[in-house]
Amino acid sequence: MIGHERDIGDKAQAPWKSPVALSVFLHGLVMVVALAGWSWTKPDNQPPPPSISARLVTQAEPVPSPVVDTLDEPDRDQERQQAEEEKRRQEQEAERRREKERAAEARRIQQQKEQERQKKAEAERKKEQQRLKEQQAAKQKAEAEAKERARQKAEEERRKEEAARKAAEEKRRAEEERRKQEEERKAREEQERLEAERKRKQRERQLRESQLEALADEAAEERQAEERRRKEAAAAKARQAQMLTESQKYRALIQERLKRSWYPPASATRQMSVTLQITLLPTGELVRADILSRSGNSAFDNSAVSAARDVGRYPVPDDQQVFEEYFRRFSIEFNPENLK
Amino acid sequence: MTNRVNTSGARLSLVMLVMVSLFAVPAIGDELLIRITEGADSAIPVSVVPFAESGQMPSGDKISRIIQDDLKMSGEFDPLPPEQMLSLPSKGSDVYFRDWRLLGQRYVLVGQVSNSGGTLKAQYELYDVSQEKRLVGATASAPASAARTLAHHISDRVYEAITGVQGAFSTKLAYVTLERRADGPLYRLQVSDVDGKRARVRLESDEPILSPAWSPDAKKLAYVSFETGKPAIYVHELSSGNRKRVADFQGLNSAPAWSDDGRSLLMTLSKDGNAEIYRMNLASGDLKRLTNHWSIDTEPSYDHAGAGFFFTSDRSGGPQIYYKSSDGAEPRRLTFGSRYNARPRPDPTGDYVYYVHQRDRSFHIARTNLETGDETVLTRTGSDESPSVSPNGRMLIYATKSGQGSVLTVIAADGGAAYSLPASRGDVREPAWSPIVR
Repeated sequence: MIGHERDIGDKAQAPWKSPVALSVFLHGLVMVVALAGWSWTKPDNQPPPPSISARLVTQAEPVPSPVVDTLDEPDRDQERQQAEEEKRRQEQEAERRREKERAAEARRIQQQKEQERQKKAEAERKKEQQRLKEQQAAKQKAEAEAKERARQKAEEERRKEEAARKAAEEKRRAEEERRKQEEERKAREEQERLEAERKRKQRERQLRESQLEALADEAAEERQAEERRRKEAAAAKARQAQMLTESQKYRALIQERLKRSWYPPASATRQMSVTLQITLLPTGELVRADILSRSGNSAFDNSAVSAARDVGRYPVPDDQQVFEEYFRRFSIEFNPENLK
Repeated sequence: MTNRVNTSGARLSLVMLVMVSLFAVPAIGDELLIRITEGADSAIPVSVVPFAESGQMPSGDKISRIIQDDLKMSGEFDPLPPEQMLSLPSKGSDVYFRDWRLLGQRYVLVGQVSNSGGTLKAQYELYDVSQEKRLVGATASAPASAARTLAHHISDRVYEAITGVQGAFSTKLAYVTLERRADGPLYRLQVSDVDGKRARVRLESDEPILSPAWSPDAKKLAYVSFETGKPAIYVHELSSGNRKRVADFQGLNSAPAWSDDGRSLLMTLSKDGNAEIYRMNLASGDLKRLTNHWSIDTEPSYDHAGAGFFFTSDRSGGPQIYYKSSDGAEPRRLTFGSRYNARPRPDPTGDYVYYVHQRDRSFHIARTNLETGDETVLTRTGSDESPSVSPNGRMLIYATKSGQGSVLTVIAADGGAAYSLPASRGDVREPAWSPIVR
């Protein structure tokens, strides 16, 4: 802009116009244009018009340097002729270009004059327009102010309304919030209740499970115990059978031993029977032989006791259990079945 | 059923034991009961320790020796020879039971005998070795001349203490011996102790003497004597030697047997043509015919109760034993085992009847159980005859052939060990065991 202004100042060399007036005029014009341009260009920040920048490019563009072909050496004469011809052609060309430049200069001055005139008219018009514009602006301003007041009022109203609405909204929201909290609380409580319930149920389930487990365990234990008992009973039975077998062996031995020791007296009859209770030490030694039931014949009873006592050491099993079971104390009945 | 566990700890085993006991109790019942239904076959080992003596002892066998022989004769005892004894105690305080137990003895008799002024006094004690208990402890005395009587008395006491049966060692035997002299046979009715000692001749005759029978009081003998040339029944009072001919009927007068009360005799008479059994009242001489059969009925003998009588009859073809329970009852045949069974003798217990039994051409003594009818041959000798049972029913005496002559043998009534009486000169026959006299 400022360069533009300088450009114009440098080139305005019209003789028919005073430079001051021109300068004033130009300044005013520049002002108007600037204002208008500012006003116009205010909303948007467009780049400068293409015409101006194009000029600047042309001026700054350097002259291209000729290309010299060194490989193809031309004919000297031809070259000289060509150079002379070129020189002539260049001179003609320069002459033509100067002519053309003078014409262009004249056309350009002409155009510049026309342009200045147009610019002056334009400034006039613009001045008028400015005034109208100001008038319009004042009016518009008043209107705007009124409008602004109304708007403000409305705005106030709206704000109030908004506030009320907001308050209501707030209240509603608070309400909502409370409700929501309440709900949340309720939900939470519900959830807690549910959780508690769940936990309770879980506990109950666990309890029940543990009870069931305990029952199952108990049942299993019972089964095992039963099994154990059964096995023990079986073992005991087997043991008992074994013991019985063992006992029978020793029973026979004792029988044989007693038979050899017993001398049924002359008075013995088949009807006579005396039963002794024998008590032994684990070694088989006799501790005592007591008459449990008498025959009524003292010689007979005596023969039995004598026989029982005559067996100094009874054949008894080494197995303590069998001994305790059968031979710690047992009975002998003397009853002669086979008297001659 | 008490169970005591002495082993250390073992509560578990106690519990087990209790459990086992619980199981065992119903299975077993009360308590182990061992039944002994038969005893030793052998005789009872007994030791008669020679008695300690003080004062003048009569000549002859020592008292303890007599006792030992008595016990041995019974067949029920097996006395230990004194030379095998470890000690010779004469009183209880000196008896070491362990010693006697070691010797396998069941009873030990110890004692001491003294002579004071012609009277023998014996103190004796019988011990049960296994029970270490005194069964008898007594004192007995007798004139020095009756040492054997004293000994037999002690034998009886010992025997009864051990067996529960009255001893029969103090009883007597009556028998007939035959001496074949150059101028003819000499028959002697003799009475001796059961061991054959102290034999006394009660009657001598050139003619046979048969069937001596003891009166229940053992004071009289009835017998058959041919001294008149024909058989007649006499009753002979032993203490006085008085005799009475009670039956001298036509034909047979034989086989006298005393009734329990001693007032009557059973006898075989053929005065009515056939040999039949009669009962004679000794006081009145009244006769009652008890059998009436065309066959020979002879050898009557009252049963133990004196109600019925056994006799021999050949009514079945050969001689067999019959029993007539009362005067009017039909005789019942008891023997069937062989063709010859004769001379029945009752058992004082009433369980058996003993008789001569022929088997395989040999004659044995057999007995039949009156309840079961089982017959048992008791002797192993041959040509056995004239059985007579001891009054306690435990011994049996009979005559048996030995070499050219005949001897008396005593066996246990159940057929046990035999004991030959010391042989008198010549044949010994017709033994009769006296009753026990209190």
